[in-house]
Amino acid sequence: MEMEKREKEDRLAKTGYVVFEKEGIDFGRILYADDGACELAGLKREEPDLTALLKAAESLDTDRVTLDRGHELWILNTAGSRQMRLAELERVNAALEDALKAAEEANQAKSSFLSNMSHDIRTPMNAIMGMTAIGLAHIDEKSRVQDCLQKIKTASAHLMSLVNDVLDMSRIDSGRLTLNEEVFSLADLIHDIAVIMRPQAALKNQKFHIEIGQIYEESLMGDPLRLRQILVNIIGNAVKYTLEGGEINVCFKQNLTNGVSSEEQNTVRVDFVCTDNGIGMSREFLKRIFIPFERVNNSTISKIEGTGLGMSIVKNLVDRMGGNIDVESEEGVGSSFHVEIPLGVAPLSRNGRALPAGQTILVAESLDERAVMIMRFLKEGGLVPVQKKTGLETVTWLTEEQFEDRMPCAMLLGQKLPDMPVLELAAHVRQLAGPEFPILLVSEEDWAQIEFRAARAGVNAFVPCPLFQSRLLETLSELIARTGEGGEASSDFHTDYSSYRILLVEDIELNQEIVVEMLSVTGVQVEVADNGAKAVEMFEASPEGHFDLIFMDIQMPVMNGYEATEKIRSLSRKDAQTVWIVAMTANAFVEDIRLSREAGMNEHCSKPIDPDRLQEILRGRFK
Amino acid sequence: MRAYQEEYIANVKEVSRYTARRRPNGESFEEYLEEVVTDRERVERKVKRNMELLRDGLFPVLDHILDANEEDIGELFAFAEKLLNGREELDVGLFCLIHKALLNLARLKKDRSGIIRELYWQGIGYNNLCNKLVGLELTDSEKYVTRMRLCFTEAAACLKYFDEIEDSDTRGYILRSLANMSLGTFKSPSEKIRTVKRSLLILQDKEYQKKEPTLPWNRYIYMAHQQMAASISYSKESTMTPQDVECVMESVYIVYQNRLKEVEGKEELLPVRTRFSYYAIEYYCGLDHLNGLLTKLERLMDATDSADFSVESMYGMISLPAFYCQFLNQYPDRLQERKEYLERIYLKVKDYVEAFPESAENESLFFYLRQLSKTFIETERSIPYKDFLQMLQIRFAPEIYVHSWIVGTAAEEFCRIIMDENPSFFDDIDFIREIRDPAEKKRRVPQYAMECGMYHDVGKLNFMNLYSLTVRQWFEEEYEMAHMHTLVGESLLADRLSTRHYAEVAKGHHYWYDGSRGYPESYRRLNCQYRQMVDVIGLMDWLDNVTYTARLYKGVEKTFDEAVEAAIALEGRRFSPLLTAMLRDSVVAERLKAAFAKGHREAYRRLYEEYGKAKKRLPE
Repeated sequence: MEMEKREKEDRLAKTGYVVFEKEGIDFGRILYADDGACELAGLKREEPDLTALLKAAESLDTDRVTLDRGHELWILNTAGSRQMRLAELERVNAALEDALKAAEEANQAKSSFLSNMSHDIRTPMNAIMGMTAIGLAHIDEKSRVQDCLQKIKTASAHLMSLVNDVLDMSRIDSGRLTLNEEVFSLADLIHDIAVIMRPQAALKNQKFHIEIGQIYEESLMGDPLRLRQILVNIIGNAVKYTLEGGEINVCFKQNLTNGVSSEEQNTVRVDFVCTDNGIGMSREFLKRIFIPFERVNNSTISKIEGTGLGMSIVKNLVDRMGGNIDVESEEGVGSSFHVEIPLGVAPLSRNGRALPAGQTILVAESLDERAVMIMRFLKEGGLVPVQKKTGLETVTWLTEEQFEDRMPCAMLLGQKLPDMPVLELAAHVRQLAGPEFPILLVSEEDWAQIEFRAARAGVNAFVPCPLFQSRLLETLSELIARTGEGGEASSDFHTDYSSYRILLVEDIELNQEIVVEMLSVTGVQVEVADNGAKAVEMFEASPEGHFDLIFMDIQMPVMNGYEATEKIRSLSRKDAQTVWIVAMTANAFVEDIRLSREAGMNEHCSKPIDPDRLQEILRGRFK
Repeated sequence: MRAYQEEYIANVKEVSRYTARRRPNGESFEEYLEEVVTDRERVERKVKRNMELLRDGLFPVLDHILDANEEDIGELFAFAEKLLNGREELDVGLFCLIHKALLNLARLKKDRSGIIRELYWQGIGYNNLCNKLVGLELTDSEKYVTRMRLCFTEAAACLKYFDEIEDSDTRGYILRSLANMSLGTFKSPSEKIRTVKRSLLILQDKEYQKKEPTLPWNRYIYMAHQQMAASISYSKESTMTPQDVECVMESVYIVYQNRLKEVEGKEELLPVRTRFSYYAIEYYCGLDHLNGLLTKLERLMDATDSADFSVESMYGMISLPAFYCQFLNQYPDRLQERKEYLERIYLKVKDYVEAFPESAENESLFFYLRQLSKTFIETERSIPYKDFLQMLQIRFAPEIYVHSWIVGTAAEEFCRIIMDENPSFFDDIDFIREIRDPAEKKRRVPQYAMECGMYHDVGKLNFMNLYSLTVRQWFEEEYEMAHMHTLVGESLLADRLSTRHYAEVAKGHHYWYDGSRGYPESYRRLNCQYRQMVDVIGLMDWLDNVTYTARLYKGVEKTFDEAVEAAIALEGRRFSPLLTAMLRDSVVAERLKAAFAKGHREAYRRLYEEYGKAKKRLPE
């Protein structure tokens, strides 16, 4: 009833507005009047008599609102509408207040952003300028300059990431951000992330663990760059906001759409969880985490750098991809980010060959969690894995298998053994099992960092962690297939050196045969000279650039290796200076190595020749 | 053996005699110096000849090892046996090289007995190298320990074919390899104890014994018990489980009873080593408390005859104090009440070593002293640790002492020149920066440089066969191993008050200035407050090495002027440009040259005097 009465009053009530301009204290004039005011005063709307209107207005029920020192807004009412007008006014005022508050907050955030940004930009800029000055002042001290350049490089990279964040946010704000749709490998994506994040966590002595759950499809459709941005941002924050020695656990898995079998899936939901035991966030902050320019302030974590845009960008990207992001956090305990993104399934192109079903494969790994996964992958690949948890057990078992002619088809060497460094085991197994036995290393370490040592120890191939079944089986099948075909296994996969030519200088026929045999598996073309003089003659007679490498024995009749090398180096043809010459001798003194260098040889290879060392030299030269 | 092999062995022994002839025998200093120079020349000639012998005799055989006949192989084997055996250690590096080639050959021929035999000897070679790494953390020495253990493990794995193998030699190699799997350091005492236990189970198996009754089973078993009993020596109380203690206790008891039988009816006392093991296991079993054990140890040490230089007495005089210190290191709260005793015992050790006849030739004495240097506790009134290390250098490694003195003298002079030009040059070093009085700083820096020179190569004490008893140039593997002297040096110097300022110098003096090369990898020049002094010692060390000290084992030989030129050529890479810039000044170079010459003479004079003092203390 009350409502109806009010509605009726509203319909009957009439309101008009005029703008009054003051002239002096008691005088003034109407500047503007709306239709309502003209109607209330009984005047024509088209050409109102403003003096008459002023008189009429002064006689009406009027509310006056000061606009500024010289102007007032008069609200003219018929009797009875005052209550309603007051209510409306209150409503308008409240809305205005909200808008003002929002504008002030936005303004505050932008000011704080500008202030942060100026600090954030200034910090790396200061480093760049300061380090440049220090470097210039110590230009003769190479190591000092190197140190400065390294710091400048770090600061520049940081500055670049700040700029990128700001640009991304601007693209998102203006709606110009587009997502790509391309085929990508989930394994590659996760490996990239591990390579980026592991060193950062290691710098803070944090335990960084990536776990792979159920994966249905590794070949997916989406925007891998933006996905990487999301994941790196979240994990990067975990590293940033977790104290030294803390722990960060990342888990990837895939979920299927309910009711659809894995074979029929067109999309899978990639599920990513990143949990840390860092400083955590307050409830208050959690509400604002995705608002641009926000970041946690905490005295325990000093010097946190960033724009405060990262999480906002992440949220926007996840939304654009049709996914969800949830955060749980408790101050002082840690945080957990959960992201789920639907991605299209791309057809998997597997190039690998079939594995030798039913064959035994040795797995030397002491980490149970890792071993369980490796064993499952291998079993699913049709192999029969045998696990050994220590280096000594491994060697004992292999020795027995070798004497009983039951060698496994390969050895898969894990990350950790309790009783010895894995590469020492690899080196011993290489000697025990011979040059053709495939040894594959599964490791969390960056291959680029350990390649030299691993290859020298006799490791043939590498599979990075986190471990993916497809990658493990493909690498393994390719390695085993090469061995089965009589190809050498002691180098990496791409060792077709058929376009290279080697001159082997060796006086003993048997040694010539052995080396030629060892080299033949790589496809490299070998020409043989049986003394130094013959070698010089052959080199001289060959067209320029004919030989890519020379293996030079030292003690030979007619002309020894030192003399032959000196003669070759003194020839007046371009390749005489550049052709790579490797001394091949049982003379093992450090002085011999020095003498061979002084004679102009580039490298030294001890006799009896180790096939792995030979491969290592070829790899080094022909890659 | 072939003639070249006989000659090589004879030369090695002769070199050993020359290097041992260090004590003056009534002659004047000038005469003594002349003898030293002559001996060195003789050694150089022998070294050159040895290399010719290997180049012409051995290397061609190794080069064509696939062609080698039974006779060649037999001779190689016999040669290797002369180079390292239970009685003598003439050339471990060459021993390893020969057995490595023989192992490769056996593998190529798929000769199982040959593989087993060569794995055993390769393991023995590695074990010898591991013994040189006493004092290093396992992480640093793990590579060699692992290689040794892998060799023994592979050979021991052939136990499965014991029945198939008919010759008793090969069977013996399998069993000895099995027992040797427990040699060397383990990550935990339990691991070692488990390994010995497994060996013992097999060695005590009557079935195996019946299969090959000709083998000395009792000796194998007894040696395994000794291994087990020895594991107590370095085990920390908290890391031994009750089961471990039980195993060790049984072995200790067996060894103890055996020893008792041996001395029964004789006037001999039970060996100190056995008594210590027995007391220690009583403590580990809870039958005695730590104070009780320490008191018994004191009694054992007091009862040892300081005029007796047998291995047993050496153990009592030096090894027991090392264990005594180890317990006190573990329980520092017990140190206060035993400090006075500890200080006395060090003096006793010092007197004992100084009175030791032919001390430099005694491997066991040196081994025990290295044990003591690892656990040494420095107190306010004890012998300063640095004096103890210097004593080791003088007694056992005079060549290292001479080199260190030369480097120190040259560094001292160089620092005087630097301080005249730039008094704040070494101010990155905290304790130098804190010296406010400029005159005092100018005096203290050169003195510190001399001390750094004296201790920069102290880690070489562990690799005496490489540096001091050189019989030929190094092989590549030996060169690699020699790199570890920097880490050993650091580990010896870092923890004691009197030596801690020299630790980084010992660690970093072979690291290249620009970080591109050198060793060890763990040295970070820019993070090291001592880096300017490390640079100085690195340069002086290099100058002396290429002009005098290292030419025997590296084959590099330069005059001083050539060396200075070469150092300048390495400016900004190997050496600090701030230092090489000074070398360009001919006056500075001349002053340094004179300092090297002076250091050389002074070093030998000090040795002469020290030996003279020691001679007076020798027992009649």
